[in-house]
Amino acid sequence: MKEMIKMMVVLSLICGLSGVTLAALKEQTASTIEEQVLTFVQAPAIESVLSAHDNNPIKDRKKFDFEGKTITVFPAIKDGALISIAFETFGKGYGGNIGVMVGFSMASGTLSGIGITTMKETPGLGTRVAGHGYTTQFKDHSIDSVKLKKQGGDIEAVAGATISSTGTVNAVQSAVSIFNTLKPQFTDGWS
Amino acid sequence: MNRLWKEFSKGLWKDLPPFKLVLGLCPVLAVTNTADNGLGMGIAVVFVLTLSNLVVSLIRSIIPPKVRIVCFIAISASLVVAVELLMQAYAYPLYQQLGIFVPLIVVNCIILGRAEAFAFKNPPLLAIADGLGMGIGFTMSLTFLGGLRELLGKGQLFGADVTWQGFEPLGFMVEAPGAFVSLGVLLAIMNFAENVQRRRKGLKAVEGPTHDCGSCGGCSSASNC
Amino acid sequence: MQEFFVLFIGAMFVNNIVLAQYLGNCPFIGTSKESGVAVGMGGAVVFVAVMAAAITWLVQRHVLVPFELGYLQTLVFILVIASLVQFVEMFLKKMVPPLYKSLGIFLPLITTNCAVMGIALICQREEFGLMKTVMFAFASGLGFMIALVLLAGIRERLAVRRLPIAMRGTPIGLVMAGLMSLAFFAFKGMI
Repeated sequence: MKEMIKMMVVLSLICGLSGVTLAALKEQTASTIEEQVLTFVQAPAIESVLSAHDNNPIKDRKKFDFEGKTITVFPAIKDGALISIAFETFGKGYGGNIGVMVGFSMASGTLSGIGITTMKETPGLGTRVAGHGYTTQFKDHSIDSVKLKKQGGDIEAVAGATISSTGTVNAVQSAVSIFNTLKPQFTDGWS
Repeated sequence: MNRLWKEFSKGLWKDLPPFKLVLGLCPVLAVTNTADNGLGMGIAVVFVLTLSNLVVSLIRSIIPPKVRIVCFIAISASLVVAVELLMQAYAYPLYQQLGIFVPLIVVNCIILGRAEAFAFKNPPLLAIADGLGMGIGFTMSLTFLGGLRELLGKGQLFGADVTWQGFEPLGFMVEAPGAFVSLGVLLAIMNFAENVQRRRKGLKAVEGPTHDCGSCGGCSSASNC
Repeated sequence: MQEFFVLFIGAMFVNNIVLAQYLGNCPFIGTSKESGVAVGMGGAVVFVAVMAAAITWLVQRHVLVPFELGYLQTLVFILVIASLVQFVEMFLKKMVPPLYKSLGIFLPLITTNCAVMGIALICQREEFGLMKTVMFAFASGLGFMIALVLLAGIRERLAVRRLPIAMRGTPIGLVMAGLMSLAFFAFKGMI
């Protein structure tokens, strides 16, 4: 019995101590890790949807609240003026969520482009929504009526990948509604 | 001092893992497609191995022998989580490259094997020396194997072109088959060198190191290996 | 249905856990000297891998994610697997002695078999559902068993052949594994 107790105490002591240490380490590294993930995972998508800029969009990112959720927004600034912004939204895909980085240009109020960040679609058809042909349709598209053709819009779905195409469009639509609501805040955010 | 050096240096040649002690093969095969990856993995292992040896040695008197394996696993797993966090923070591309083999350091036999065979029975300073030596030996082996495979498979070394014009890379060397074959041939060469030495001393040639589960911590049925 | 079939064949042959994913190599080389031992080890891996994958999936979804402890994944998984192996061993010893007789001696080896932990981790990284996780673990375990039994057959033959003394034992085992892995490369065209 005494041995059992000793075993329990030693084991829980080890686990407890390592838990506390790791939690502290996690706290210490959290912000660096976030920066690294953004730099290596999302940077390519961010760069592709923002217009020409002379700042570092990842360094200058700001967080905004929208209906209880936090949205991280990446700005493109040129000569001190905010040209365009980008943030990520999600739509339901075939195998899980599709992450879409959506860029808006501030002056004209149009989409400056979209890029797929994460997805778990069927290899082959579904992944074609990440291809150039599909995403370039969104470039300079007006933010009103971003819809697939069969929904009455003008976005051509990827043949055979309706669910993935719809998921992407839904993600863009939710990005548009966020943009419409928060636009004043975005304009003031970096001035 | 002498003893310390002895424990440190045995990992560099005499018991060089994974060639002399055939332990921890998965990372050896998986991440040695380039010299960079081999080196990165090696450094992560040095970190975990040295610290786990130190911790095990420090608390060896309070660990009940019956649950020692679980204690070793808990200690090394915590250190691996620490490595994961640090790698994500300071070497993210490497973390992505190594993929699931970073968390899998925890089941690398070398860590448990050294805890069981050495750190649990020796004072902290010796345990550190042992861990460092073994870790550095492991790193050297991984970097060497990675360099070899990268050179033959891609014609590069640490990402820089080093071969002459017209060199045709052997693509299969950086894939799985190349990993198995090159490790097998390297082991055979090491055995051959050892046998030449033994003959010179007038001893009989022996079969190389067989898979040594005896020093593997979690393995209580070494006789089946 | 077709999706599951593709997953099954993919995990068993195309992305064979040992020969293409480099997992579980220590027992692969260590226990492949006799085919009887190989079958026992393979069976134990299938059994434990399926249980471990299912339990770690539940732990991940219902404990780690809700409490935001994702970074402790490695620590929790290995402890779950270690205690699962202990538990299975005790259970089989008491309840199913014949099964314990054939698998029992291999169970302690499995805690440090990176195939088991690797399968659990892959299922999480691919974000499989519970059903898919179990299927994937079962197929991967079978793949491990097939590779192990085949290699054991080859090595039994090799044991009675004349070989340069330096090549005997582990080195020739590794070279043979390499040739098998080359043969399994041919499955790449299937999916």
